[in-house]
Amino acid sequence: MSTTSQKHRDFVAEPMGDKPVTALSGIGEVLGKKLEEQGFDRAFVVLGQYLLLRKDGELFTEWLKDTSGANTRNATSCSQCLREWCDAFL
Amino acid sequence: MAALRNKSDQEIKDLLNEYGIKHGPLVDTTRPLYEKKLKEAMAKAKVPVTKPSPDRTFYREDQEEVTYVTYQTPVRSEGPSGDGKPYMRSRPEYSERDRVDDKPYSRSRPEYSERDRVDDKPYSRSRPEYSERDRVDDKLYSRSRPEYSSGRPYVDEPHVYNTLSSSSYSKPTPVVKSGGGVVKKENTTSSGRLIPLWIQFLVFLILAGFLYFIFTNMESAESSPFNRIQ
Repeated sequence: MSTTSQKHRDFVAEPMGDKPVTALSGIGEVLGKKLEEQGFDRAFVVLGQYLLLRKDGELFTEWLKDTSGANTRNATSCSQCLREWCDAFL
Repeated sequence: MAALRNKSDQEIKDLLNEYGIKHGPLVDTTRPLYEKKLKEAMAKAKVPVTKPSPDRTFYREDQEEVTYVTYQTPVRSEGPSGDGKPYMRSRPEYSERDRVDDKPYSRSRPEYSERDRVDDKPYSRSRPEYSERDRVDDKLYSRSRPEYSSGRPYVDEPHVYNTLSSSSYSKPTPVVKSGGGVVKKENTTSSGRLIPLWIQFLVFLILAGFLYFIFTNMESAESSPFNRIQ
């Protein structure tokens, strides 16, 4: 089992509701601000993008890196967080 | 190159299907990503067309061996001084490399597209196979030196590729590749190792000495365990 952060576990534990985008695992202040500038101000909007990319982790990671300048580690972490959330609640 | 920006959504979708890229709906947020993927796919697809050598198609091993053979004769004619030696040494390693090639390469496939993006420039003809070879080098090499590659972030890997490739392939690449400007630049470091050799030897000697010290200072178990208590 890969080690997941507390943030990841918190996010995956319940429906995301109106949580801000910084609640996503791997998305901190800086990345959150960049995403908000692009119009992704809530976690569910990023979820929307993830679903638009057909829940493809690689594509989503690439998109996130291009859009917010995230590095591979953060993008993969966010992707995994969303995937697990979808597995639980979607 | 056709301007992807100006194409309609349907045309982009058709192109994506043509290149076999799995995609979702084409929306304003997903479009830039798919355009980028198409650009990569087109650059990659262009490479076999421009390359002049024959049967480049299927087996990577074959293709690399073909180019490898052409390297040998120039090196041999240069002289037996020291050039032939390291070069011949890498030959038997190379056949090993081919066999073990599949696993590391398939694993590093997703990374490959990233690396391709970085090396976007003109000599695309020789670049992709070059970076393939680098990756093979690194995977095997990193297996033998786990203490160096563990914990190293991904960002450092391209540097490792460059230095390793310059150490084992510094001779042939200027000979064969005509557009080898970048390759020549990578030849600047003499040994190309990240940690100099003498440091490696020193660490090894210190470690060996330390272990020997511990070993000799262990209590000797020569006395018989069956002595009577007196």
